[in-house]
This record gives sequence, C-alpha cells and structure tokens, in this order.
Amino acid sequence: MSVASQQQSGGYIDRPANRGLADVIELILDKGLVIDAYVRVSLVGIEILTIDARIVIASVDTYLRFAEATNRLDLYAHGGKDLPELTEEMTHNGAKGKASGVLDAAKDKFDEAIHGDDEREPERARRPRRKERAE
Amino acid sequence: MTTTEIGAQACYVYGIVAADAPVPDGLRGLDGAVSKVQHRDLAAVIGDLPRSRSIGNRSDLLAHEQVIDSIAATTTILPMRFAAAVDSPQGLIDEMLEPYQDQLVNALEELSGHVQFTLHGEYDHDAVLRELLTQDREIARLRDDISKLSEDASYPLRLQQGELIVQALERRRVVDAQQIHGALDRYAAASTEHELGTPSDVIDTAFLVEESRQARFERAVEKVGEKYAGRVRFRLLGPLAVYDFVPRM
Repeated sequence: MSVASQQQSGGYIDRPANRGLADVIELILDKGLVIDAYVRVSLVGIEILTIDARIVIASVDTYLRFAEATNRLDLYAHGGKDLPELTEEMTHNGAKGKASGVLDAAKDKFDEAIHGDDEREPERARRPRRKERAE
Repeated sequence: MTTTEIGAQACYVYGIVAADAPVPDGLRGLDGAVSKVQHRDLAAVIGDLPRSRSIGNRSDLLAHEQVIDSIAATTTILPMRFAAAVDSPQGLIDEMLEPYQDQLVNALEELSGHVQFTLHGEYDHDAVLRELLTQDREIARLRDDISKLSEDASYPLRLQQGELIVQALERRRVVDAQQIHGALDRYAAASTEHELGTPSDVIDTAFLVEESRQARFERAVEKVGEKYAGRVRFRLLGPLAVYDFVPRM
C-alpha cells in the first residue's frame, strides 16, 4: 500500500502541506488505540486541553457577535476591504473554526502549562501570537 | 507486569503495524530514533522515552503525529493515542501484542489500503451574513430597528437578532452539510462527523477512503469547493493515518 503524498493545491480547497499545532491537536487528541498497560508518564497540559477544546462559545456572546457583525455589514459593498473591525475579529475567530478561537484558548492554557515548566514564560509573554507551523 | 528489569527508559508507542511493514529510516520521535519491535504477525513502532521526562508540549505532539503520518504514507498503521508509554518493549509484547493479537491483526486487515481525509468547511462570514440580510426579513428589520437605538437600548434586539442569525445558519448548515456528504460519501468507506466548534462551521468530518478511490475522492472535494466558492472555505487534511477509525479495544 502506498499513499501518493503530493499535496497539490487545488484552486478551491486549502490543503496545507505542513500541519500546525492546532491541526495536530485536532487530529490526535482522543484518537487512537488505548490499552490498559501504560505506565504513568507525567503529562503536561493535556488534561486541560481535552476539556477546553470541547467548550463551545457561550451562546449569548455568540448571538451578540453575530448581530454586531451583521449590522455593521455594508450591504452594498462587495469588496469587503473596509469591513468593520468586529467582523474581522469574528472572521479571525471563525476562519480556522475550532482551530482558532476555541482552540487558541485551550492552546494558551496548554502553553502556559508547558512553558511554566520550562521557565520560558517571560519570553512567551512578549511574543506576539502567531500561527504555529509544523516546521 | 513482567520480570523485565525497569530501566531508566520507558518505551513510547506510536502505533501498530504488520510485522513486515516498512518503517522509513531516520524517523525522529519524541525523544530520538524510532524503531520496531516485532511479535508474530505484528510490530509496534516505538521509541525510548526517559522515565523522568514529562511529555505533552508542542514538539511532542508534532513528533507523535509526524512519526505516525510518515509511516502511514507507505503502510497501514493503527495509531496509538498520544502519550502511550509502557515500561519496556517486552512489556508491550506481554501486555498488548500477545493478548490483543487477533483483534489488532483484524483491525489492520480491515483498514489496510485505506487512508483518512479530514475535511473542515466554514461559511465565509461576509457572504453568508449578507445573504441572510437580503433573504430574511426579520433579521433585516431588526437591523433597521437596532440602528435607531443606543447600544444599551438595542441590547435585547441584538440578542434576538443574533439568535435568529445563529438559527438561520444552523438551518443552512443542515442543508449544505447534507449536500456535501451526498457528493463525497460515495467515495468513502466510512465517515465520522466531529462536533462543530462554531455556528459558522459547515462540516468537520473524517473520511475513510480506499486508496484506489483516493484520486476520485480528492476530485470530488475539489468540485464541492468549486460549487461553494465564495460561500464556504474548505480545508482538507490528508492523506493521513486512520486516526478516527481505529477500533476500541
């Protein structure tokens, strides 16, 4: 069996060649074989992450954000360049679906847990958040 | 447990393959090289893990996935859940490969020749909200009312309107997701829908695809993308290991 590994990028579908952390978390979290013979390895952050990644944004907040985005939408503009900040923020939150808004929150806690251990917290705090890439 | 001596290294397990399955050279795992331990018809893909080491940071997660998907590119692998570690390779044989031999062999046979694709689709906010405004009178009327009120005074109306929008998106999603599945399911052996994260998500589904149908599946996804161009943004991961389709043991 062999898998064609070319990642040709079709015109209409985003097919990332490198998977970022958010993708990987989505892929592997809670997936795969489990047996009962594990030794206890000490896990950092994982428990926090499993819980937080499942939280769906509270509805009142969601309603207000959607209402706001809709009401600020310029019905007659088609370029979409001058769209209000909030729409942008919402798009940012939504663009990668769970991978962004909700997972970022989880990821932050997760990073906190990890970097707390690594004593890298101060460095991280100053670093602007950016999209993580696999390589 | 076994009588094997407990050393400083635990044994991290990435996944299970057939005994004769090729494992690419030079794979690096969480903590160094990756190797194979064979037992009868099965082999486990393993690596050393210092017993004192905590795992779960970014590079650990990425390494876990990279090892599994590098192997999945050439052979079928049953991925282990992240953070699977046992005391020793012999312990792995005694506790897993031997007692679960038949189930693991069956699962490998069933999934052999298949790969996973994960498709995520999300509405383009501007496009879909604009559609709602032009098609839904109530949402448009509320927009006019809200524009005449102060922010505080319009709060209940905004809440009401937002709820209508989210409900309208949900109705739309049901129809669109059904159509997307209608176009893709025929090329897949199975599919698993993931819980959606936001109201603007349209689909988040793992598809199990037979390799001989992979090209057709990919073309079908491309056609779906074309059909929804400007309305839904799609993101396709794969071919991947069959993460969502390993059986429960």
